[in-house]
Amino acid sequence: MSPSGPIDWSPMIVGFIAGFVSRIVSIKSGRSHYPGYPSGYISQVALAIIAAIIGSSIIVSLVSKQFTAATFLTLAATQFRDVRATERTTLEKEEGLILVSRGAGYIEGIAITYEARNYLAMLIALATSVGVEYLGVIIGGIIGIVTIVIGEIYMAGPHMGDVVEVEPAKIRFEKGSLLYVGDVMMMEVGLPHSRERYEQEGIGVIITPKGPRGQSALWNVSQRQAISHEVASAVGAQKDVGYPEQTPLCRMDMPKGSGRAALSILPVQHDVQAVIRAIKKTPMLESGKWSPIRSPILNRKELD
Amino acid sequence: MGDAPTPVMFAIVTTNKEAVYGGMSPIFVAQDELERDRIAMWLTRITNCIAHDLHNGTIILTVNQAGGA
Repeated sequence: MSPSGPIDWSPMIVGFIAGFVSRIVSIKSGRSHYPGYPSGYISQVALAIIAAIIGSSIIVSLVSKQFTAATFLTLAATQFRDVRATERTTLEKEEGLILVSRGAGYIEGIAITYEARNYLAMLIALATSVGVEYLGVIIGGIIGIVTIVIGEIYMAGPHMGDVVEVEPAKIRFEKGSLLYVGDVMMMEVGLPHSRERYEQEGIGVIITPKGPRGQSALWNVSQRQAISHEVASAVGAQKDVGYPEQTPLCRMDMPKGSGRAALSILPVQHDVQAVIRAIKKTPMLESGKWSPIRSPILNRKELD
Repeated sequence: MGDAPTPVMFAIVTTNKEAVYGGMSPIFVAQDELERDRIAMWLTRITNCIAHDLHNGTIILTVNQAGGA
């Protein structure tokens, strides 16, 4: 079947640009974000181009009655499921090689985000190209900008800084060998040498939830592992194979169950403010967002 | 990290031989606390296990504790 007239390319071009831009603005680099190196960027940019092309060409092929093409494009879109699996595999392989692991919850969160980013680029491209097709280039372009902004706002997700307060606390030992941060017990350190190092160089912070949401996030063990990982990647951790007691730890105030958590770390760079910033910038994990309403332990009055 | 690994007692280092009895792990008897701490530290570094002081003259060494990898 041949198109009835000359193809109008403008919906495809504008839609492609919108989808591609939405993906590019969200590519992050940094110590803990993947991709962090040129090859990672290239594969992500390539996926962004494919996603934007798929999203923007569907409406053009439908308008020109090329239903076979449209069907194949939807088939191509399903290939993006693999992005998540690839991300997860990469990060899980890396888990055994890094000393402070990300934890399964954080890895899943990163993988879901990357998959969703590609679908978002596709949807923005689709919405923009539909707008251009039926409402003209200018209004379509405005739709593209608006959807990019909305997508960015929704995809940003909450950070731990939104739901918890972080303040420095002193590291001390009780009963000879129990490591305390403030009044939160962390662990038992049996070796005098390690105790000395903690007393001299350790940094401790207390994480206090602002409300039930923060508390429910803190009770999640994946969330705390993600916090430890972010802190360790921000200030470094004096840890190597054979020094397990120098692992950065994030533990709840446990026998009391007050909902507060504490973090202890032997940093390479002795900077409390960097630790606090890293905790506040840790993303809240999806797995940590369960409903806090029904659990009796989270309905304590002193927290509200 | 949700699945907390079961700690396995790997070795016992003690200055008080009467305080420990039998079991599945080797028992190292030290003359004094200094030697005990030294033995415990060596074993920790060699085997990547964690030392816990029981405060009765005995240090136990466990593996897979405190999220250590």
